Amino acid sequence: MVIFTCADDFEAMLTCIYDAWAARLGHHNIRLALEPVEEMELFASYRSIPADPAKAEKVAASIKKKISPAAFRMVYGAALHESREKLDAIYRFLVYGFHFGAKVLDMLGEPVVSKVFSLQRKVQNETHFFREFTRFSLVPPQIYFAQIEPKCQVLPLLAPHFVDRMPSEYWIIADKRRRVAAVHPKDEEFYLTSLTDEELTQMEAAREGADPFVSLWKSFFAAIGIEQRRNARCQRNMLPLWYRKHMTEFQ
Amino acid sequence: MAASVHVCNTLEEKLTILADAAKYDVACTSSGSDRRGKKGSLGNAFSAGICHSFASDGRCISILKILLSNECIYDCKYCLNRRSNDHPRATFTPEEVCTLTVEFYKRNYIEGLFLSSGIVKNPAYTMEQMYRALYLLRTQYHFRGYIHVKTIPGADPEIIERTGYLADRMSTNVELPTREGLETLAPGKTHQKILAPLRQIQSGIGQHRLSQGKSPRLERHQINAHLPGNIFERAQALELEEKSARAMAIMPSSEASFVPAGQSTQMIVGATRENDYQLLMTSQALYQRFDLKRVFYSAYVPLNEDALLPEKDTPVPLLREHRLYQADWLLRYYGFSAEELLSPEKPNFNVLLDPKCDWALRHLEIFPVEVNKASYDLLLKVPGIGVKSAMRIVKARRSGTLDFDGLKRIGVVLKRAKYFITCKGKMMYHIPIEEDFLTRQLTGEDARTTWEMGHPQTYRQLSLFDDMQLVAPPTVEDTKKTLQGQL
Ligand code: SF4
Repeated sequence: MVIFTCADDFEAMLTCIYDAWAARLGHHNIRLALEPVEEMELFASYRSIPADPAKAEKVAASIKKKISPAAFRMVYGAALHESREKLDAIYRFLVYGFHFGAKVLDMLGEPVVSKVFSLQRKVQNETHFFREFTRFSLVPPQIYFAQIEPKCQVLPLLAPHFVDRMPSEYWIIADKRRRVAAVHPKDEEFYLTSLTDEELTQMEAAREGADPFVSLWKSFFAAIGIEQRRNARCQRNMLPLWYRKHMTEFQ
Repeated sequence: MAASVHVCNTLEEKLTILADAAKYDVACTSSGSDRRGKKGSLGNAFSAGICHSFASDGRCISILKILLSNECIYDCKYCLNRRSNDHPRATFTPEEVCTLTVEFYKRNYIEGLFLSSGIVKNPAYTMEQMYRALYLLRTQYHFRGYIHVKTIPGADPEIIERTGYLADRMSTNVELPTREGLETLAPGKTHQKILAPLRQIQSGIGQHRLSQGKSPRLERHQINAHLPGNIFERAQALELEEKSARAMAIMPSSEASFVPAGQSTQMIVGATRENDYQLLMTSQALYQRFDLKRVFYSAYVPLNEDALLPEKDTPVPLLREHRLYQADWLLRYYGFSAEELLSPEKPNFNVLLDPKCDWALRHLEIFPVEVNKASYDLLLKVPGIGVKSAMRIVKARRSGTLDFDGLKRIGVVLKRAKYFITCKGKMMYHIPIEEDFLTRQLTGEDARTTWEMGHPQTYRQLSLFDDMQLVAPPTVEDTKKTLQGQL
């Protein structure tokens, strides 16, 4: 058994898929895994694959061309999942995909297909949660800053939503778990960048008590519930407690 | 008498008063408009709507729901803002409304604004102020998010029309389904006055749609194309009044659209004696005659002492409200009509069963239904089979005969459906298709949710009823209904 490994990064994963495929060892004789490899196997040999933009681009292009653009979006979504097994799952899906072409997306009865489908659906769902529940607050002079702690890596899917609605504001969404931020300068495209602990602490300190609308929002939130209909259980079902951590109205 | 003591409120005090006063309005959605953002502007609109939080009562918070003012020259009995209440009053300036909307929006608290108001001075003045807030919001604050605004009946049609070019959705509350109800509880309001803006906006939407090459009526869910006899099919043709030259001149730009998310209304449930049949027939008529996008129902919360109103400690009729929403759903997506669900002889919903189960038990002659043969619209009549499940069944049976395992695999929930269907001629269990038997099966399964729906604060009491093998009655009043009904 040969195990191809790489970093948890889309470009690296596509490169890893390229090399694993090109090795021609037979799909049954190989596996793909993310680094750090958690439990090493005695009789396997490991090959660590560094990201290579050219190879990654080739894989991306052939998924779009030989399967379909929708399949590519699905693979991309699945690659953002927190699961350690996603890379191997994507590889198995692509084996089917390159064989069956575009119709592979309808073959939800196949475990190999439904696996990748459910990985990306989880990512989509979580992204939607953060469209709803992400909260910005104003950091002087004029930056809207938000912190999130998603299970999956939602930033690349989440940021375009806010680019469309706040194209002319300076804003930052920080994924505290991964120390990555989506940064959007006024009237420009957004970019992803890594964040140091100091930067994060600095932002947190700067926004402390700085935004006058925080207390206005809390007042509104308190006033809008109808006492005679109070229903904490329903509220909890709709808005699980762990999402509330960074929500202004629950702080 | 009127407490017109004017205090110089801070913005936060005003917001607290005017959100508190707006909370009984149930228009909470931000759906129906699709609009991309634009450089230099703020906001977009997402046709499925986005919820941003959930209040302590479990209701979704999607938009900044406020009144422009809670001053009012009227004295509607059921309303907290009525003239005769001694109550703190506040009024926003249009600029304050704009500031709150855009600042909240930038923090991702909300999708947009819902603006209603008490009647300050007179209807015309009030509508002017609301228009002013929207106008500033769209033109000076460059806001492209969602806006839902109430019309003020009695305002000048021209200002209502101008407002329609700025809003995504407009609504006028019908409040009470019958003339008598309205006249007793809302002196100063008449159905005629309320229906005038509904008619005007319907006509405006129709005109606008025609000018874009669409049919004047709103597109309904595509499901309805497969449901012969659905209520929208029987809707009257819309007579469009000739658009006057004046009205044409109002249209602010060629890309402006008129109330793209349609109009809605709201009725209060339980403040007057009207029964569910009257409420649902009114809803149906509103969908058909005014092409409303939605009718909302608001369980009456007793706030005022009044001989004409339920006592102050009357429980809020949450279960009844829930049944009305379920029935409303059946009208809009399942091809049912109000007359099929209720009648003058059976004017109220069964508290223990949802309206579809209840209907099915009264039509046992058409069951069981063979899932491999039944038409789409018949599948939709089966309790427990929804729009999605019916669609999946129709798709899946093209490539083979379905059995019960097959149904489960494609995600059909059999909890209720199993009593009403066969697969290849066989039912899942050998049970009688018999009304009393099925009623007991179905109410047993639903008792818990039904009880919790009616008693959000006291649902723990349920275990007591479970131990004693009683089916918990949601309210005393409802028990009486049930006893007189079919149980
Ligand atoms: S007109 Fe509206 S605000 Fe005024 S009392 Fe009646 S319901 Fe209340």
